[in-house]
Amino acid sequence: MSLSEVELFFFFPVVFALHWLGPRRTGWQNAVLLLASWVFYATWNVRLLPLLWASTAVDWWAARWLDAHPAPEDDKPDPALASKRRWVLGISLVHNLGVLALFKYAGFFAHSLNQLVGALGGGDALPVLRFALPIGLSFYTFQRVGYVVDVFYGTTRATRSPLAFATFVAFFPQLIAGPIGRSTELLPQYEVPRKLLPKMLAGGAAFFLLGLFLKAYVAETLAPVVDPVFAEPDLFTRRAHWGALFGYAAQVFGDFAGYSLLAIGTGRMFGLELPQNFDYPFLSQSMPELWRRWHISLNRWLFDYIFGPLTTGTGWMRGRLDLGFVVVFLASGLWHGAMWTFILWGLLHGLALALHHRYDEYYKTLCRKDRVWVQRRRSRPYKLVAWAGTILFFVLTLVPFRAPSLGGAGTFALGLLRAGGDEGAPGVTPHAYLAVLLVIVYHALETAPLRRLRERLLAAPAPLRGIAYAAAIVFLAVFAPVGAGTFIYAQF
Amino acid sequence: MSYETNRQQVIDWLDDNYHFGDAAKLIKTDDLSFLDNGILDSLGFVQLVLFLEKTFKVKIERKHLSRENFDSLRKIVGYVMAHKDYRDA
Repeated sequence: MSLSEVELFFFFPVVFALHWLGPRRTGWQNAVLLLASWVFYATWNVRLLPLLWASTAVDWWAARWLDAHPAPEDDKPDPALASKRRWVLGISLVHNLGVLALFKYAGFFAHSLNQLVGALGGGDALPVLRFALPIGLSFYTFQRVGYVVDVFYGTTRATRSPLAFATFVAFFPQLIAGPIGRSTELLPQYEVPRKLLPKMLAGGAAFFLLGLFLKAYVAETLAPVVDPVFAEPDLFTRRAHWGALFGYAAQVFGDFAGYSLLAIGTGRMFGLELPQNFDYPFLSQSMPELWRRWHISLNRWLFDYIFGPLTTGTGWMRGRLDLGFVVVFLASGLWHGAMWTFILWGLLHGLALALHHRYDEYYKTLCRKDRVWVQRRRSRPYKLVAWAGTILFFVLTLVPFRAPSLGGAGTFALGLLRAGGDEGAPGVTPHAYLAVLLVIVYHALETAPLRRLRERLLAAPAPLRGIAYAAAIVFLAVFAPVGAGTFIYAQF
Repeated sequence: MSYETNRQQVIDWLDDNYHFGDAAKLIKTDDLSFLDNGILDSLGFVQLVLFLEKTFKVKIERKHLSRENFDSLRKIVGYVMAHKDYRDA
């Protein structure tokens, strides 16, 4: 079950009623959410539920121990305690990252090593083990790792309530695809009773509906435009390749931003505020800006737990921001999947950020010499070129992101330049155009000239808004593709 | 060094790296949030940390790297002065 599937419309009302009709106590509310979350997880794979329980228990223990044994002050060094603390953090990290490595990367690395040894004339060096990837593993692992690291450094205190912690780890709307929550922002919400506020409920329902529109209509309508061309690029014309590529950009946005809104909306309906995950990314005028607007929760995590410590720490990487970008985006690529295509995608983005940083430093020297360069950067033509370049680069790097293999990415990339086949763009229906148009309108309403119009629409009288929401529900019921495919980001 | 001297050094750095003469104008009050008002982005904060550690010879501990300590001019200068034995010349 996912948040956009029909089963949810039977599951959600039961959980909602139990949560709000029972005692307004933290314990009851958390118990309902935790049990519901485990049931939700079990619908994907009941056999992997003990893994979630074990990981929760290990991190609960590690954080409590670290909290009970705070780091010694600089003027009162205690090497034995410092060493024990590192061991406890190590146990948590080895457990979390070990499980991630085993389920997600063991097969990939063994296969890659065997290929390398084979190329050198040897036999298989390692058996290739492949396990069913626990759904959402990368998301909830990062959330827990962030918590234990924060407690280790004293940024936050460990929660006293195992129930609150288990609910924080397993909360079903964000369990399979985030947003990756920060303990400092989320855990305190699980430690107090939630109130049913009409504003949160209405806002949550609106987010849910918008998310459903993006996920169930936009993303699913565009799948037939994208999938056939990426599956057999040789058959299709150059135009079909470009259509599939831009269609994929809209599809993956609809898919993930949609699911994030479903999660945030569902969270609000339970009185919980999950972090924002998308902030109109297609308005970005540089790659750093795009990564502050796309999958915000993951990029914040990577920035805070990898980039920041590496580049401001005392090690060799201190101040080496360019290298930091490459390391972080290689990690991001690997996080997305154990495939060379994702590693290539991460490398391209890491290099792009490093290059942008160099360009930015050069441009600053121009600005210091003459302020006219500051004005040029604020001019419309500069912004337009910067925006077009950013979007084109992002879309082009979706080739390795979406392609099934490096060879497939190469074939698809060639197809963007010269026609390989003679089949036209598949799946191009009025609904496909409408789906792309909706993504454009969604972003356009955030631009300065149209923002006021959006605010006016949102402030329309309640009956009018009610009619609009009802019309959207009817539209979805009639036109959203039935039997829609899987959710793209859940596989990460 | 006084609050004013430290404050000016931070403004000079912001001018030299991000706002090219406009920093003092943009920072209307010393309590203005840098993140909320586009004075610095997250990468800018990393560069700010490197600048503060180098210029003021202060070690910024990881547990102190938070919005509470670095999101405004007053917080930044206050942190630097609290973690270094500054005396007015």
